[in-house]
Amino acid sequence: MKWDNKIIIENGLLEQYLLGELNNKECQQIEEVLASNADLKSYFEDLEKDFETLGLENAVAPPEKLKTQLLSQIKESDSPEVKVVSIENRSNTRAYFRIAASIAALLMISTFWLYNQLADFKKEQKIVNTENEKLINTLENLNNKLESETALFATLSHSDTEQYILKGNALMPNGKVVSYINHSTKAVVINTEKLPILDDDHDYQMWADVEGEMINMGVIPKDNNLLAMSYIENSESLNITIEPAGGNDHPTVEKLVTNVYLR
Amino acid sequence: MDEPIHFFVKSLTLMQNDTAQIEQIQNKDERAFSLLYDKYAGAIYSVILKMTKDEGKAQNLLQDTFMTVWNKVDTYDADKGRFYTWIYRIAKNKVLNSLRKTDLLIQTEDFSVYENKEEDSNIDSEHLELKGAITMLEAHHKKAIELVYFNGLTHREAHLQMDVPLGTFKSYIRQALKLLRKTYTKTLSFLLLLFNLM
Repeated sequence: MKWDNKIIIENGLLEQYLLGELNNKECQQIEEVLASNADLKSYFEDLEKDFETLGLENAVAPPEKLKTQLLSQIKESDSPEVKVVSIENRSNTRAYFRIAASIAALLMISTFWLYNQLADFKKEQKIVNTENEKLINTLENLNNKLESETALFATLSHSDTEQYILKGNALMPNGKVVSYINHSTKAVVINTEKLPILDDDHDYQMWADVEGEMINMGVIPKDNNLLAMSYIENSESLNITIEPAGGNDHPTVEKLVTNVYLR
Repeated sequence: MDEPIHFFVKSLTLMQNDTAQIEQIQNKDERAFSLLYDKYAGAIYSVILKMTKDEGKAQNLLQDTFMTVWNKVDTYDADKGRFYTWIYRIAKNKVLNSLRKTDLLIQTEDFSVYENKEEDSNIDSEHLELKGAITMLEAHHKKAIELVYFNGLTHREAHLQMDVPLGTFKSYIRQALKLLRKTYTKTLSFLLLLFNLM
């Protein structure tokens, strides 16, 4: 170790190290030696102090303005950091604002879209409801029709049903009505296919003759060819007259267009 | 005698390697940095002046050096040496780099960088004169120290400049430093004695 120290000192390695003449690798070696060798370390510390004293002894005062410039330069070199930070902060807040704004915009758009969708759904639901009602009505109508048709058909196809033809008289030479009467089910069905069409001010009305009295069996509707009429007990004949629209309480005998006696 | 005493009182306080102050500078304390500048700028400026022999250049390099000290103070390792030594090395590197840059166009040989500088004198010759204990050394000792410490030559360059073998040059340096130390300790003892008497 002593020998090492001697070599280092005689070669002026510590001086060269101090003066910054050595390369990185040499510096590292010297630093390692100094860290582990107290004698050399203290020799080096003396060297440092001597060189420092030498430097201070020879000091030349630099112009005052240099210090002022340097200190303001330091402030400048530091302030950009602060500025950068503040800009970052601002850009951060700006970014947050952007994100928040985007979310708000998305929410608004989606809310609007949902609202529109809801309105559309409501409209559609209304339409569906109306359609549904219509369908139900139609269905009811169909059911009713079916029921009445079934009833009519039941009467027509019943084995006890008797058929009577009401031929038109002089007032209605080409017209006729076919009637079906079932006394067991107490039903009357007529086919008005061959009845001449009346104007809007008049209707055909049907009457049953019971012991000389004409009982109203009902006004014959214009929109149907096969229809049920009221069954009257003990009727002797069926008669059809032309009456003012809506029917009459008593038959206008002069306007009798057809009749048939029942057996 | 008044001036050396004043200097030594000053240097006594400087001799402490002020850890606290360095820490403050590492924490970007501008006031601590200002005090550090007051302590060392003169010594460093002197070295830079003697290397560049150009006051304008020297002032720029001095500022540059202390900017680097401020910016790189975190890399200073107290275990490896004194703060002054660290600053001195920074300054020397900056000057050598700047001289190499400007002289590269004219001369490629490193060694020649330091020659014939006296011709273009942008400098008060007083700034080139050495002061203090070193002036009391023999001419060859003084020259040896001047070349490596104030002119920034390496040992290898300096021994050629002085035209002596490298080994001889190294012993010049060693002897010169030994003599300087003796002067410094003598003055220090004198000072301590003075303090004790007061």
